[in-house]
Amino acid sequence: MADRQVPEVKAPAAPTQHAKYPWPEPATTQLISKPHTRLDGALKLSGHAKYSYDVNRPGLLYGRILRSPHPHARVVSVDLSDAQKAPGVKAALAIVQPGGKVMYQGDEVAAVAAATEEQARDALRLIKVQYDVLAHIATETLALRPDAPAVFEGGNIKEGNTDETGDLDAGFKAAAEIVEATYQTQVQTHVCLETHGCVCEWEGDKLTAWVSTQAVHGTREGFAESLQIPQANIRVICEYMGGGFGSKFGPDVQGVVCAKLAKAAGGAVKLMLDRKEEHLAAGNRPSSVSKIKAGVAADGMLTAFDGESYGTGGASAGAGFPLPYIYTFPNRRRRHRDVFTNAGPARAMRAPGHPQGCFATELLMDELADKVRMDPVEFRIKNLPAEAPNRMWRKYFPIAAEKFGWSKRHATGDPTPGPIKRGMGCAANQWGGGGRGTKAHVEIHSDGGVVVRCGTQDIGTGTRTIIAIAAAETLGLPYTSIKTEIGDSLYPFSGGSGGSTTSASVMPAIRVTTGKAFDALAARVASSMGVQPVSLVARDGRVFVKDTPSKGVTWKEACRMLGTEPVSVDGEWEAGLSASGTSGVQFAEVQVDIETGVTRVDRVVCVQDCGLVMNPLTTETQIHGGIIMGVNWALFENRILDRNTGQMVNPNMEWYMLGGMSDIPKIDVVLMNQPERGVIGIGEPPTISTAAAIANAVANAIGVRVRSLPLSPDRVLAALAAQQKAGGTL
Amino acid sequence: MASSEEPRGGPPAAIEDTGPGVSRRSFLKSVGVTGVVAGVVAEAAPTAQAPAPAAVGPGEVSIALTINGAKRTLKVEPRVTLLDALRNRLDITGLKRVCDRGTCGACTAVVDGRTAYTCSMLAIEAQGKDIRTIEGLTDGTVLHPIQQAILEHDGTMCGFCTPGFVMSAVGLLQKNPTPTAEQAREALDGNICRCGTYNRLLDAVLQVKGGSRG
Repeated sequence: MADRQVPEVKAPAAPTQHAKYPWPEPATTQLISKPHTRLDGALKLSGHAKYSYDVNRPGLLYGRILRSPHPHARVVSVDLSDAQKAPGVKAALAIVQPGGKVMYQGDEVAAVAAATEEQARDALRLIKVQYDVLAHIATETLALRPDAPAVFEGGNIKEGNTDETGDLDAGFKAAAEIVEATYQTQVQTHVCLETHGCVCEWEGDKLTAWVSTQAVHGTREGFAESLQIPQANIRVICEYMGGGFGSKFGPDVQGVVCAKLAKAAGGAVKLMLDRKEEHLAAGNRPSSVSKIKAGVAADGMLTAFDGESYGTGGASAGAGFPLPYIYTFPNRRRRHRDVFTNAGPARAMRAPGHPQGCFATELLMDELADKVRMDPVEFRIKNLPAEAPNRMWRKYFPIAAEKFGWSKRHATGDPTPGPIKRGMGCAANQWGGGGRGTKAHVEIHSDGGVVVRCGTQDIGTGTRTIIAIAAAETLGLPYTSIKTEIGDSLYPFSGGSGGSTTSASVMPAIRVTTGKAFDALAARVASSMGVQPVSLVARDGRVFVKDTPSKGVTWKEACRMLGTEPVSVDGEWEAGLSASGTSGVQFAEVQVDIETGVTRVDRVVCVQDCGLVMNPLTTETQIHGGIIMGVNWALFENRILDRNTGQMVNPNMEWYMLGGMSDIPKIDVVLMNQPERGVIGIGEPPTISTAAAIANAVANAIGVRVRSLPLSPDRVLAALAAQQKAGGTL
Repeated sequence: MASSEEPRGGPPAAIEDTGPGVSRRSFLKSVGVTGVVAGVVAEAAPTAQAPAPAAVGPGEVSIALTINGAKRTLKVEPRVTLLDALRNRLDITGLKRVCDRGTCGACTAVVDGRTAYTCSMLAIEAQGKDIRTIEGLTDGTVLHPIQQAILEHDGTMCGFCTPGFVMSAVGLLQKNPTPTAEQAREALDGNICRCGTYNRLLDAVLQVKGGSRG
């Protein structure tokens, strides 16, 4: 069970709140910062929550997409005639026109809609496509060869800027020790359990789309652009969705194809990707290779960092990442290149870039600490940037070390005899987040009912629940009594749920709008109560004169005074209620079997902040999720493309592995509440540093560094064998 | 609350060491690479009581399924899985299609008292069997104790894996009302959660102890 205590951090330079509806004082909250179960938990647990995948419309047709079997080819012709005549087929269309290219295995070529899914699959096999197969590139190494064929005209490399600060030569001269090493991370796919896709239905020129999306408004805009119809004619609904992790912000090709099929077929069409399509074409976290030379002075101060990095986001750019990460290298240079390959394009994935930069930097930090024979925590603290509300590592490292039992850590290499070696490691994270722009609508009815409408969406993070908490806190009601309506582009605008921006964007809008709604209620009932509107407050299900609870009425009595016309107000995000910038640290303990190479993570301790904590229960669960995703990336996940054929060899869930119940560590979360900072999101930060902490723990256990992910048994054994051959220790 | 210890109307369960009850990795190891899917289908469909289906198809055939105690008739092609029959033909959508090849457990139902991956069982082979889905577990709006415990421990995030985990947990607790943490982990190893609710789920299962709260 996670640590439920919420110690407060007195952050320096706290922003001053100028909001008209500030958050209540931390000591006076009824609901905020207290644990609450999810409003939609029972629906999800009973199977009654309707996800986009579950929407079955009358006469529903099933759409399927034909995808390229080749990693790189020019399409000569697409013949749909046989498919169009196949049993049950209602519509067929080509996605690539003759002369167009496919850039990776799984790139979209054509599509059909049929009465049953089985008929749709059969019809795909009747589509005749002639390909002019082109040379392809499956890996970064192959792409970087001078004689490599070009993925895109213009080459396989997109040069990034070279960043340079300070005097690199002087920095290396000042170094007592130098580490040169290469760190690598693999391509990870999102593996949303609900695959990408939607149900599209037309009524005349109006489209309704039930989409598995992180952005109902953004998806509406995407549909409008692609279909060349007004946004006003489109409604996007996403009541429940089965995970996105950064990969579901628009209709994508399959959404637009689904809408076109539905139009052509004259009926509703469901088009959900299957698991293989999901791995091939629905996004991924790019790989990374970081070749680093770094120096440290005898006193443990970092002096210099010279890094060259590249990575591949497949047939797209976007493989950049922050490097060095967090720690202060006074003299540094960094050059980055995006490398193109014939693989599915990258998309944002939970904390884009940060896990890669964190992995390389935090492994390097342990190597440098060993060189100068310093404790890794002490060494890190020595080289941190100055403390700030969003940079609290100096405080968090000792808290986590104490809770974790860091003092029991042995030096690199577990001296215990036998095959099982234990080790400890740590790493830090940071994330920006922040958010703005959300609008909301609140109604208070004469029967006492409260409806909050907001065009955000709950991607599994608990947004629906914290909206109710914020509204109920403001109106003095139980949070379960608030009717929270989200996930529909007919509701007031809110942005996509990504980048840890949802809470910081949505919560202020809810606080402001419910505050305005209560003001409107007070204005309409105060005279009947014989008091001034400004004197009224709402608390404990009553509306009463502040500091005189006896002088008031129940919430229901107050609402009854409204008569037929409900309170109906709009409001939006205002400054002063949310902020950006979080920091955290994680410690991991592992055991490694040096005979089998199998690593198991026993426990992770996490100290993390995210501003004002709305609901510590769901926040901690989300932190668990980030850590577990980090464990998976560290040990199991790996999108493997065959270097000769460019085909993904594990496009499923048995060979693209995710940990199961037995693979998951014990997790302790220490959540640092910072109410004075306002609301900040927590989606990304906790997944950033887990893999680095685990890799450092593995090195501490076995006395050999495994510098590339995943830390699979073969890599661990290879590293041990290489070390034995070299006859040395670290 | 004694009656809620079992799926309603279902016989006391005899969960065999196949399907989701077995550790995914040890299972894969034991059957090797190529036999994975075939192995699940064969093991998950005991033929002792059920009449062997006659050669049918390839067109649609009429079948009858007993789902949560109610008999439903429908037409499916013989190749249609039980999962797809439930979701696409009968609009019973609590079970989810995630991997569609017997790995992730999101489609788990209790069939004749044993947990089964419905993506790896043909609908025609499910005739005559007692099929219990997540929809049959809740009594009106009253959650089953395991559902209630998961709610309180916040064992759902996106919720897409949740029905499968609930059914696997029900299967476990029928067989072993007082599992150790190790036994519970192993029993739930056939289910995958991407959001990372494992620790919450485990705490919930260990608290429920066979359907009685404590």
